[in-house]
Amino acid sequence: MRLLSRSEEMVLLAIWKLQEEAYCVPIREHLNTITQKQWSFGSIYDPLERLERKGLLDSYLTEPTKERGGRSKRIYHLTPQGQKALLEIRRIQEAMWAETKALLPKT
Amino acid sequence: MGRDQGPAAQNLKTAAMFPNKKNKPPRLAEWLLRMIHSDKGDYTHLGDFNEVYNSICRNQSRIQAGIWYRFQIIRSIPGFIANKLYWSKAMFKNYLTLTFRNFIKNKGFSLINLGGLAVGMACFILILAYVQFELSFDQFHEKSDRIFRLLNRDSPADANVIEYGVHSPDIMVPLLVKDFPEIVRVTRYMNFFGDKTVLQRDDTNFFQNGLFADSEFLQIFTFPLLKGDAATALNEPNCIVITESVAQKLFGPADPLGETLTCRSNYKKYEVKITGVTADTPTNSHLQFDYLLSFKTLSSDKSTSYMFNTWNVGNFIIYMETINPQAKFSIEEKFPAFISRHREISEEEAKRLIQVKLQPLKDIHLKSRIRRALSTNYEIKYVYLFSSIALVILLIACVNYMNLTTARSTSRFKEIGIRKVVGANRKQLIKQFIGESVLTAFLATGIALALVRLLLPRFARLIASDLQINFLENPTLLFLIIGTTLAVGAASGVYPALVLSAFQPFHVLKGQDSSRKRGSLLRNVLVVIQFSASLVLIIGTMIIFRQLDYIKNTRLGYDREHVVIIPIHEQETRRKAQAIKTELLQHPEVQSVSVTSGLPLNIRSRFLGVTLQKDSGEKIEIEFCMDYIDENFLDVFQIELAAGRNFSQGFPGDEKGALVNEALVRQVGWAEPIGKEIPGMSGKNRVIGVVKDFYFKTFHIEIEPMVLFPGGSNHIAVRINPGSVPERIALLRTVFTKHSQSQPFDFYFLDDAYNRLYKKEQRTGEIFGTFAFIGIIIACLGLLGLASFSVERRTKEIGIRKVLGASASRIAGLLTREFLFLVLIANVIAWPVAYFTMHTWLHNFAYRIPISIWVFLLAVAVTLGIAVITISTQTLRAALANPVDTLRYE
Repeated sequence: MRLLSRSEEMVLLAIWKLQEEAYCVPIREHLNTITQKQWSFGSIYDPLERLERKGLLDSYLTEPTKERGGRSKRIYHLTPQGQKALLEIRRIQEAMWAETKALLPKT
Repeated sequence: MGRDQGPAAQNLKTAAMFPNKKNKPPRLAEWLLRMIHSDKGDYTHLGDFNEVYNSICRNQSRIQAGIWYRFQIIRSIPGFIANKLYWSKAMFKNYLTLTFRNFIKNKGFSLINLGGLAVGMACFILILAYVQFELSFDQFHEKSDRIFRLLNRDSPADANVIEYGVHSPDIMVPLLVKDFPEIVRVTRYMNFFGDKTVLQRDDTNFFQNGLFADSEFLQIFTFPLLKGDAATALNEPNCIVITESVAQKLFGPADPLGETLTCRSNYKKYEVKITGVTADTPTNSHLQFDYLLSFKTLSSDKSTSYMFNTWNVGNFIIYMETINPQAKFSIEEKFPAFISRHREISEEEAKRLIQVKLQPLKDIHLKSRIRRALSTNYEIKYVYLFSSIALVILLIACVNYMNLTTARSTSRFKEIGIRKVVGANRKQLIKQFIGESVLTAFLATGIALALVRLLLPRFARLIASDLQINFLENPTLLFLIIGTTLAVGAASGVYPALVLSAFQPFHVLKGQDSSRKRGSLLRNVLVVIQFSASLVLIIGTMIIFRQLDYIKNTRLGYDREHVVIIPIHEQETRRKAQAIKTELLQHPEVQSVSVTSGLPLNIRSRFLGVTLQKDSGEKIEIEFCMDYIDENFLDVFQIELAAGRNFSQGFPGDEKGALVNEALVRQVGWAEPIGKEIPGMSGKNRVIGVVKDFYFKTFHIEIEPMVLFPGGSNHIAVRINPGSVPERIALLRTVFTKHSQSQPFDFYFLDDAYNRLYKKEQRTGEIFGTFAFIGIIIACLGLLGLASFSVERRTKEIGIRKVLGASASRIAGLLTREFLFLVLIANVIAWPVAYFTMHTWLHNFAYRIPISIWVFLLAVAVTLGIAVITISTQTLRAALANPVDTLRYE
């Protein structure tokens, strides 16, 4: 299986944390807060779409709300494969970061 | 949703959670975003945008929210376009493959389709190029919209139909520039004297046509000088500017500037110096010349001084350049005052005497019907006629395409059904079919361009002009062709697209065709239209040729066979004419010779307002045509006398005699015309004989009163005995050159000259015939396609009929009948159209054939015959097929 890209990993993690509120607007805000950068909608839609196509994400529509101009939310949640992929990327990252003490800031 | 919110969600509480205050994003922007982010139809993306918009509204301001919202549109565009392109490319490839596969699968159909369209397009392109050429006349002049030709009323002030002529007196020219501030420059020209003039350098001489013109002429018109100075080249007397090809003929590559030439005709002779060389006159110029003689050559010549400083001699054609195109009206309005001022007469008198019109340069070629104008003018109605033929042919070809495509549609039912089931919507199908037909149209245009290249020389001969098609020089034509191709593709694709896309996939896949009935009705209507159009062309062709035939074979009152005309162009040769005549008569090959000014095919000079005395003593004012002949004239042309006698050397008083025609006698009402007085150019003449009426003008005009006077010297007309024509001509040449060294021998046959009078009609007939032929062929291609389709569809039916005992002829008849019925209906529609069109055309002739029913019956026979032959190629095969073969496949 192809490895997750960085943005995919971040989006997946945000969805995991947001649980039932995991739709585009909060995901984006979460990423904005953590990365201290402005994410465009496009940079979130793309990984979302890709991940859903790969089967790592699943989604459903909510009732339309007035706030959203009468539109539904699309709420995402991780599939088992998605969780597996996240774990896999974490394993790889840890393995990669092992033995790199010189780079890490002194605690 | 009614679900519990996760803990993380509460931490990341967004403004979205608060009840909102009905902030609506800008409508246009929302619409755009909706177009871009269709998001598989559930528009959650749009919801996201709206939510953030609302939160910005609350936390910051509406304005910022608006800016942010609109900015999202711009951000979304690149991705949107990339996405669109990706998918449309994939679809396009699929369409292309399918078009190609369909083409290969139905080779016969496709070739008929493509071939018909290509031939139609080729005709259209040729005619388009031709019409464009006719419309391009005189457009190349830089100031063409500000140049006007002065026209003078030619007919009396109280005439019913006011005719205009082009000739004006010279005295006007300087006054025009002085009196009208709207006029920038004025120029005038006059043809060099005589029919044909000779340019001679040492021993080389050529017939060339020239004009007297001044340097204003070169400044008003755009005839650029290749050598010499346009401002001064025509300023001095005895200067000449020649065209490039004349220079080439006379001097080869040598520089002609400063060389001298002799320029002469039967009246005049000038020694002139070459001061300039112009480019050859473009073919689309109404002014055509081989050289320009400086105007001062004419005005400083004593023998022509009578033309100048007088209002009574109008020999000149005047052109003026105005400050703007609108100046025309103010000049025309001020003209009577101008005339009254300079001729010292009252304005009313001036209005009665002279009435002028300024004719725009661009109108000269197509919109003037002026007598005696330089260069033969074409008529705009022929341009319209040819344009409509082009459109008719194109229509026939388009209809073919529509017909064959819809007919063939059954074979594509499965494809359409599957497309629909898989999710293609109607719009996509329409796009596909229109795209397919546009593609076919472009393919057809490609073939058509190759055909045009091949046929251009023949077509150019047909229309008698050296038409060129060069797309680099003529981008307009290219755009027109591309535009037409698109239009033809779209137009002929629309109907099939609409019909095919409307099929219900359920019916289609089950093998039922819900729209077959309606489709076949429309196909039938289209076939009827096609055949009607071809029929109009066929009937038109037949009537035109019958009229031409009538013109050629009617007894004209004179015999035009075996007559050779030798025109005399020079004074010197004119003096030798009698000697030439005497010597020619000694040869047995020559039957008779006449030295004459008039030729029976065109006696044009007119005497207006002649007063004659009736038998009752009452005076009658008439006008007649007249010319000068000698005593052998009637002999050479074999014109018969109705009464009296011919001119004769035996009667010394005959130089005061005159021959009149029966029309004149009828009009005046003389019971005994011999001995009556007729006023001639010099005093009174007496009628000595009456000739039987003969057609001395074209068939367009009724035979008018005519008088023939003695004397005349412009032609030597020779009636030769039948035998070897080249030998006879060689004899004439020997005798002629023995007596006349300076004039080159020149001759033509009377019957050729006669046929040239009807060149325009002849040409129209040939063009009509050609395109009628092409039209019927294309229509037949369509019929062939339809017939083969219908046979294919009814294969099983035919098989069963045969098994049950139907004979082959019965089956063929059954299949043919429905098509023949269509052809018959087409005839009924085409008849009135053809009748009225041709009735109008025939009214151009004073002498014409009646439109007989036979022409129409013949047209029916021809179309039915062609249709039967076309259809039977298909039906016979079907009828003769063994039913075992047709019924085997189930």
